[in-house]
Amino acid sequence: MNQKELKELIELVIEKGIAEFELERGDVKVRIKRAVNSAAQAPEIPTVIVQTAGPAAQETGAAPAPAAPQPPSPPSKQTAASADDRLHTVRSPIVGTFYESPSPGSPPFVKPGDVVELGQVLCIVEAMKLMNEIESDVAGEIVKRLVNNGQPIEYGQELFVIRPAK
Amino acid sequence: MPDLLMPDVLAPLLKGTIFTEHIHHYHKIGSTNTTAMEAAAAGAVEGTVFIAEQQSAGRGRGANTWHSEQSTGIYCSVILRPALPPSAVLVLTLATGLAVHAAVQQIDLHLTPDLKWPNDGLLHGKKFCGILTEMNAEATRVRYIVVGIGINVNHTTFPEELRPIATSLRLMTGAEWSRVELCAALLKSLDREYQSLLKQPDAHGSILRRFQERSSSVRGKDVYIEEHPELDGLTAGLDERGFLQIRTARGLETVLSGTVRFR
Repeated sequence: MNQKELKELIELVIEKGIAEFELERGDVKVRIKRAVNSAAQAPEIPTVIVQTAGPAAQETGAAPAPAAPQPPSPPSKQTAASADDRLHTVRSPIVGTFYESPSPGSPPFVKPGDVVELGQVLCIVEAMKLMNEIESDVAGEIVKRLVNNGQPIEYGQELFVIRPAK
Repeated sequence: MPDLLMPDVLAPLLKGTIFTEHIHHYHKIGSTNTTAMEAAAAGAVEGTVFIAEQQSAGRGRGANTWHSEQSTGIYCSVILRPALPPSAVLVLTLATGLAVHAAVQQIDLHLTPDLKWPNDGLLHGKKFCGILTEMNAEATRVRYIVVGIGINVNHTTFPEELRPIATSLRLMTGAEWSRVELCAALLKSLDREYQSLLKQPDAHGSILRRFQERSSSVRGKDVYIEEHPELDGLTAGLDERGFLQIRTARGLETVLSGTVRFR
């Protein structure tokens, strides 16, 4: 099991609201247990335990260690998923490279703390020289940026967390 | 004889395409892509065309500007509104390269442009065409796309710093080209590629196959990616989405974007 598969697994577990999950495949045993805090605004923090025996150890040794909320790097879907329904997440509609500003050296479209309008451009995701303007689909305040400038991102990856205006 | 890209001259040549009705012509403009994106945001219809005799802020790669002279090149952007998900239109940049290739060959069969992934047209290793595609999309639906094409047509010289890397159709053939004829051929082939992408189930595969046939560098060339120098090795074709694959020391890796540099 590689890091990507593990990440997808964690995302699935979060998405489906599964509290505890165990998988055994060959020499690899994965156990994901989510500490769901009922207090408002507490993010869901899954605990991931990867046990390996034999040759698979090297590969899975690089498993991401989800942690409490942290600065934008590294992108971690787990920390982004919020138990707080009031927070909104903007995702990428395409695979590509994330750009925070319209051209190299120019200021970013938005930064945490900014108040954005519905339809305001938040960033550009580029693939094969196709520049995709990602707009905000809510009006509100940017709480967090979840990816770094120049970083490759996957389809559906979370980019920004926004607290919608009341 | 003047060879201005006037709407009343172009429109009759574009019959049967989506590009006949709304052609906007500028003697000088900042960037046709920027203007087209603004117009699209304001509701301009599919098939709207923006053509300039000269761009003062034509955008090239990154922060580079695109060298532009009065009435010597083609600087053209079109608005498309495909009823497709964003992931399905990624190949439009590649399809536009094919349209440029077809337009050039329609006028001079002996000239064989080489497409460099993802968006350059080369002749004898020098760039004569650039493509910049911009999109505004929701998660599952494209609102609008602007495809911008810059072609060096009748340039007889370039600034010193561009001479080693840039060329024009005129420099390559020794003859002056009709920009009107080339522009019409280009928009007709672009319309053909676009209609096929909308309607033909196998269009995606056909674009990838034809691009690879017309690109000498997508397979077996020793390259690295300028923005990601660790992506370094022999090119190994395009994947099913149109991304370039490189066989690096770590294995087969996929390039989402960036500039391919030859070793």
